[in-house]
Amino acid sequence: MKHIALAAMLGLAAIAPAQAQTVVRHLHITSIPAEVELMNKIAADFMAQNPDIKVELPFLENEAFKAKLTTLLQSADAPDVFHSWGGGVFYEQAAAGVLRPIEDVLSDEAKANVGTAGVSAFTAPDGHLYGVARDVSEVVLWYNKTLFEQAGVDPASMETWDGFLAGVQAFKDAGITPIAIGAKDKWPAHFWWSKLVVRLAGQDGFAAAARGEGDGFAGEDFVKAGEYFLQLAALDPWQEGFLAAGYGDASGYFGDGNAAMHLMGDWDYGAMKDNSADKNGIPDEELGILPFPTIEGGKGDPTDTLGGLGGVLFSRNASDAAVKWIEFFNSTENQALYAKDAYYIPIAKGAADVMTNPFKVQIGQNISNAHWHALFFDQALGPNVGGVVNDVSAELAANAMSAEEAAEMIKEAVDDEL
Amino acid sequence: MTSVATGTDMSATTAVRRRRYVDRKSLLPLLLFLPPSLILFTLFVVLPMIDAATFSFFDWNGYGPITDFVGFENYADVITHRNFGTAVRNSLIVVAVSLLIQLPLAMWCAIALAERGTHINLIRVLFFLPYMLAEVAAGLIWKFVYDGNYGLLPAIGGAIGVDMPFVLGDKLWVIPAIMLVITWKYFGFHMMIFIAGLQSIPGEVIEAARLDGVSKWQIVRHIKIPMIRSAIVISVFFAITGALQLFDLIIPLSNGGPSHSSHTIVTFLYQFGILRMKLGFGGAVSVLLFIACVIVALAYRRILFKVEQN
Repeated sequence: MKHIALAAMLGLAAIAPAQAQTVVRHLHITSIPAEVELMNKIAADFMAQNPDIKVELPFLENEAFKAKLTTLLQSADAPDVFHSWGGGVFYEQAAAGVLRPIEDVLSDEAKANVGTAGVSAFTAPDGHLYGVARDVSEVVLWYNKTLFEQAGVDPASMETWDGFLAGVQAFKDAGITPIAIGAKDKWPAHFWWSKLVVRLAGQDGFAAAARGEGDGFAGEDFVKAGEYFLQLAALDPWQEGFLAAGYGDASGYFGDGNAAMHLMGDWDYGAMKDNSADKNGIPDEELGILPFPTIEGGKGDPTDTLGGLGGVLFSRNASDAAVKWIEFFNSTENQALYAKDAYYIPIAKGAADVMTNPFKVQIGQNISNAHWHALFFDQALGPNVGGVVNDVSAELAANAMSAEEAAEMIKEAVDDEL
Repeated sequence: MTSVATGTDMSATTAVRRRRYVDRKSLLPLLLFLPPSLILFTLFVVLPMIDAATFSFFDWNGYGPITDFVGFENYADVITHRNFGTAVRNSLIVVAVSLLIQLPLAMWCAIALAERGTHINLIRVLFFLPYMLAEVAAGLIWKFVYDGNYGLLPAIGGAIGVDMPFVLGDKLWVIPAIMLVITWKYFGFHMMIFIAGLQSIPGEVIEAARLDGVSKWQIVRHIKIPMIRSAIVISVFFAITGALQLFDLIIPLSNGGPSHSSHTIVTFLYQFGILRMKLGFGGAVSVLLFIACVIVALAYRRILFKVEQN
């Protein structure tokens, strides 16, 4: 009996230092195995340097993450750090007091490392900084050079809207599906509406409509965006059965070389391969990026980009150790590892310099040269208005709703929120 | 207790006798077994229901305290919502298909397969398999079957020279396609209930009828079906309540689309209440659904009582 007690005491003494560790739980949505491995490696490096901090990396799949986060953040089980996108939802979280302001904890160096755009994306309307930006993404028009040659379409001719429509018609005439789209998931359809709004209304027009000023989203530029979208839809440019196709289906359809174009984020470079039948997708030399067509008389700047700005937020209970971990995780040195393998385009200064993938390099340049980097509209406008934007976009793609009705529905949703 | 007594023509003395019976013989088991289930039921069923009902009177996005009282506005929003009518209609179609196609099919299979025998057991298991499959998995499987590019359906269509549409992306075809999956998925469950009922019919009854020269159809019509009435009563109840709560097959199949044309009441609730963070709106939908279910349950009970007394 004595021995057991002694052994137990010794055992307790042995784990005592472990109990003194601060645990940092970082909830992420990374599902690509090699990328997860990289994240684990960075966490292991950090823990080796900081034996008093233990980093845990729980995972939730994207849709499950979105569905569970609201409850999770208000429970005792809230993670210290969690993945987030810039935009509407985060303001609600900040207003509800489930986040921790970190402007006093985060080093000036780390703030400088993400730049002004990175800081402002994670600053709530109350003026506090609640998170750290990690990556940027852009929606671009991917195209298949082989199919362009087959149909005799010159990519340069697609730079204006009229040229673009003519090109789409040329593909139709050649019996090639012009554009792949995953309209079942709706958000891929909303990229078309959003890009048209970026071109037609521009930054100021969009911001005014989002505030509900004047005619809001029922205004002229937004109705016009719907009309242009319908012009495209009238050509029936999408693959057969596009309303039953999710993003993955459309991505694979394009990756298999069945469609000439796909309007999608830079992440599709990898996803297109993963979703294709042979897992190789379109070889780099046959793949290209087109700028979204410009529209005459549009108020947007030609350099404007549409995309995302992702990062992490700190929950109410996050410790200083959590901030320390993120500073390490988001350092140029570690983010360069992600850049090297082209998982995403890091925002950390200089990290993207090591990118060798020509598409990612070009997208990185697009964003840094942009006059306005518009955040995905369905996220920038919050889940409710964003949901309506996605709905009407899918309707417009199917040529099943008038431009006026679409604009009116979005305006109503905004009014409902204000 | 009193409501039951007034609901039927039970005399006062039987009510008293019954109460005394409860007092003496069932008090101990009651005290022993009721509290755990009562506590669990209250915690996980009653309280969340009260919560949902409370949310339905507030404008709430899921974060922070509930303060924005809006009265019945959420209910008005639900009823006037452009997609609510479609969702209700679809749920009613599911109920109708369950009662008019799925249950008769299950009954037919049950009568054919109620005999014992190795090969019959095998067929039974085959028919029952879809029911054992998780709903989401079944949805995914059928999504592949229906896929217009690689699916089984267009392959069959191609073989017989018919150009099949992308059924899940087609407003006209999506509902029949989903109904087929529902029937396929659940008829085995009802078949098993019916088989269990059929097997409890004493062999002599049917034997005697046969000796009297009663035809097969008459045996089914006048002996088998009446004698498994209680199994049918249960099946119909499950079919209706299950149909009203249909959710996890739809999400992988069509996600309520195209153009929100294939929502059921519950996928409507999920799409517009939960995903769009309008929990008050979602609460209002759930209260309406709850009321509908309670009405169905009560009406069903009442109708059955009447039939039983006749």
